[in-house]
Amino acid sequence: MTVSADDSLHDSGRPAPTARLFAALRLLRATAAGRIVGLALLVAVLALLSVYPLSMLLYGSLHSTPPGMAGTFNLDGYRDILTRENSITLVNTVGISLAKTVPSLALAVLLAWILARTDTPCRGALEVLVTLPFFIPPILTAMAWGMLGNPQVGLLNQLYQAITGSSAAPINVYSYGGVVWHMMQYSVPFLFLLIVDAFRAMDPSLEEAARMCGASRLRTFRTITLQLMLPALTGGAILSFIRGIENFESPLFFGAPAGIHVITTDIYDSINQRSPPQYQYATAVSFVIMALLFLIVLVQWRLLRGRSFATVSGKGYSPGIVRLGPWRWVTFAVCMLFFIVTVVLPVGQLLIGSFFKFFGFYQWDMLTFEHYEAVFGSSEFWRGFGNTMLLGLIGASATMVLGGLVAYISVRTKWRGRSLIDAMAWLPWMMPGIVLGVGFLWGFALLPRAIPIYGTIWALLLAYISLGTPLSVRVMSSAYAQLSFDIEECSRVHGASWLTTMWRIVIALSWPSFVVGWVLVFFGIMRELSASVLLYSIGSEVLSVVLLKLWVNGNAEQVSVIGLMMMVMVILFRWVQLGFTRRHLGTL
Amino acid sequence: MMTTLKAALVACLAGLALPAHAQDWQAVVDAAKKEGKVVIYDMALGAPYFLAVLKSFETKYGISVESLDLRASELAERIRTEQSAGRHLGDVEMITTTMIEEQRNNGDFVERLPAIPNAANLRPPFKATDYSVPAYVQPMGILVNTRLVKESEIPTSWNDLTDPRWQGRILSDDVRPLGSGNTMFAILEHQMGGDFNARLAGQKPVFSRDMRNDARRVARGEYAIYVPQIFAFASDLKGLPVKLVVPKEGAPYAEMDLAMLKNAPHPNAARLFIQHFLEADSQLLYANAWMPPVVTGVVERANRDAQPFASARLIGPARLAERPAMMALAKKLYP
Repeated sequence: MTVSADDSLHDSGRPAPTARLFAALRLLRATAAGRIVGLALLVAVLALLSVYPLSMLLYGSLHSTPPGMAGTFNLDGYRDILTRENSITLVNTVGISLAKTVPSLALAVLLAWILARTDTPCRGALEVLVTLPFFIPPILTAMAWGMLGNPQVGLLNQLYQAITGSSAAPINVYSYGGVVWHMMQYSVPFLFLLIVDAFRAMDPSLEEAARMCGASRLRTFRTITLQLMLPALTGGAILSFIRGIENFESPLFFGAPAGIHVITTDIYDSINQRSPPQYQYATAVSFVIMALLFLIVLVQWRLLRGRSFATVSGKGYSPGIVRLGPWRWVTFAVCMLFFIVTVVLPVGQLLIGSFFKFFGFYQWDMLTFEHYEAVFGSSEFWRGFGNTMLLGLIGASATMVLGGLVAYISVRTKWRGRSLIDAMAWLPWMMPGIVLGVGFLWGFALLPRAIPIYGTIWALLLAYISLGTPLSVRVMSSAYAQLSFDIEECSRVHGASWLTTMWRIVIALSWPSFVVGWVLVFFGIMRELSASVLLYSIGSEVLSVVLLKLWVNGNAEQVSVIGLMMMVMVILFRWVQLGFTRRHLGTL
Repeated sequence: MMTTLKAALVACLAGLALPAHAQDWQAVVDAAKKEGKVVIYDMALGAPYFLAVLKSFETKYGISVESLDLRASELAERIRTEQSAGRHLGDVEMITTTMIEEQRNNGDFVERLPAIPNAANLRPPFKATDYSVPAYVQPMGILVNTRLVKESEIPTSWNDLTDPRWQGRILSDDVRPLGSGNTMFAILEHQMGGDFNARLAGQKPVFSRDMRNDARRVARGEYAIYVPQIFAFASDLKGLPVKLVVPKEGAPYAEMDLAMLKNAPHPNAARLFIQHFLEADSQLLYANAWMPPVVTGVVERANRDAQPFASARLIGPARLAERPAMMALAKKLYP
């Protein structure tokens, strides 16, 4: 471990603004008043980002008309929820989300263990490849799976029929199974990304101790490894479960034809397909869901309270690698199978289809580069791309800094009010995106004119930070929970200032998680549509809006070209990120 | 000095040579050019024919057009929110007739429309109102897969969809929520008689919610028939094994209107834009994308492949007042 508590930050070459910032931070840290001011600032920022838009929605749920219109306060929205039909929809929604979260978590743990803790061949490449599905726009994978798994002419069913001679079509993506499967393609890599670094950043001496005491490998995994992963696993599972409740695309594409209704399609219909739009009902449903989800978060807090999950201590270590012998080819095959099924099959369709005039019609006379020419020759695409990159870079960085601060206060201090800011940061994650987008629209439009946010690119930036903060807080909380308090105390005992300790210990050791969180938030921004479409203004179009326009105008092939380009970016980002993580771990 | 006097003289003579209404309109054009910009709120989402109209307007008048594209409900809510907050950013909206009616019922978002000379060229059944003028229509027909449906079996009437041979082979936009499916449902309920929708429900059509992809699913052979097929969307499918049928009873349609938003910052440019949209050349761009024009003298100029669709018989439109009843009926027939 190269981090030394004796090292200090007395670098004379530090530029003046940084020095001023550090001095301000020192002041904030040094006094109780400073701490209160710091906390108040943080509360104010979170209030603007999450409480303010939610308060607009709360008003909407309690008022007969949306903000800005004459009406009366009543509970009609909440009263309308209490129907038998809605109970069935709720059960459906929870059931589908559970059905995808549990196997996703199991699969993600297996993949994370294989790729972080075993000597499986080509782990580096596999780690990039298995996460790719998460970054593909859902609308594209839905289309691809529709072509692969429809019961009439789906390629997989045709393959089955050709091999077996049967006329049966065993695969039907337009079903409960199809909805769950499509969701899993996103939740497995998402959970994998959230937990893999927790596996990597674990001191193997704890597992070795269990093994020395006679525990089997399985028991060690169950009683030591998994237990120590509890913050990361429960945090990830809850995030994934909530996302499952709020998932919209999978039920819309695969559930609607099979008569499967979930809460988000109900909310979507009440806003977009009722006359007039039922905002009171939509917001009321969302708040009920929010309350239910918050109960789950409270359960997690209770579950983890008072327990220590520190695995990164002052002792030097390198992540223990399990030598699998010939079994490593089995684990390699598991990863490859996952990659082939979730990436090669759908993305292969998109890649091949992007070179033909129409998807699914692979004839020589339809071979073309016109979709690539159309995309790369479009000024709107490049404007959207430029805006998205700008918002992604600033937004992801700001979100991770904010999330890091909230997580630090929540996990590593005993300050009063820490639970409040943690809860405030959670809120946007529990509100379905379709509704939250409306909250931002109402909130920003009704701000006083002296605050020039509405109609500018900054409205999008604030919305993205708000939407990404819950994820960044979870990622950083899990990372901080693994850091032993001893190393911080050791640093202070050796004379390092609080800032030095923060910089050289806490930030240095949680840096890999910060980078993973950054990548997740960055690509979350690239894909975000619900808020973007309501907040973008002329000139500030973002990529997701460009994709929507192309899709609505029947240019699915051009959407695929952009989707494929996003995947190339993902591979590049992940390659840099993993290289960074390895170098970083190598120094520990 | 002499140059200025000459210019003034020429202007006066030109003024004398023009009739009074032309002089008035020239004043609108001049004022619009002075405003220099017009902001359109629309739901075209970058449709090429719409962009072509915008470009022709910019070229003709040198006035820049800014277009904010959103889906219908998002567009309506954005306008409502902006107007409620006193932010008057848009000049013109292009949205369905029923949504304008709804805006008028729920608030004061739309300006009384000043005279638009080209409104005199509207062809039946299209009519301008005090607040809006028709811009274009989205008619709907039947899409068939020509590999799965023999020429002799191709439906020619909406009634043909109730033939038992199509049971389970029809893909449809969901008719229960607001949208094209429900518009078709409501118009055919009137046009085809009371039991038509019940008989169609008996065919057990499969519902979906992505019109663009659904047409391609039919082209790939998942289903034999798709309803309702928006004409303009089918014009993009040339080369695929599909055929768009306009049933003999006619095509149900949704009408898109142009209206001026309250306190529009560029009112003259807005008026000029609406006038330009109703020019025969602008309407021809829509007719060539298989949409019946709303003004006279355009159908006959459309491309040959577009003629049958640009001249299609239209039935409808659906009425706002009937929506709740139609949505309830659809829900009853398709529980």
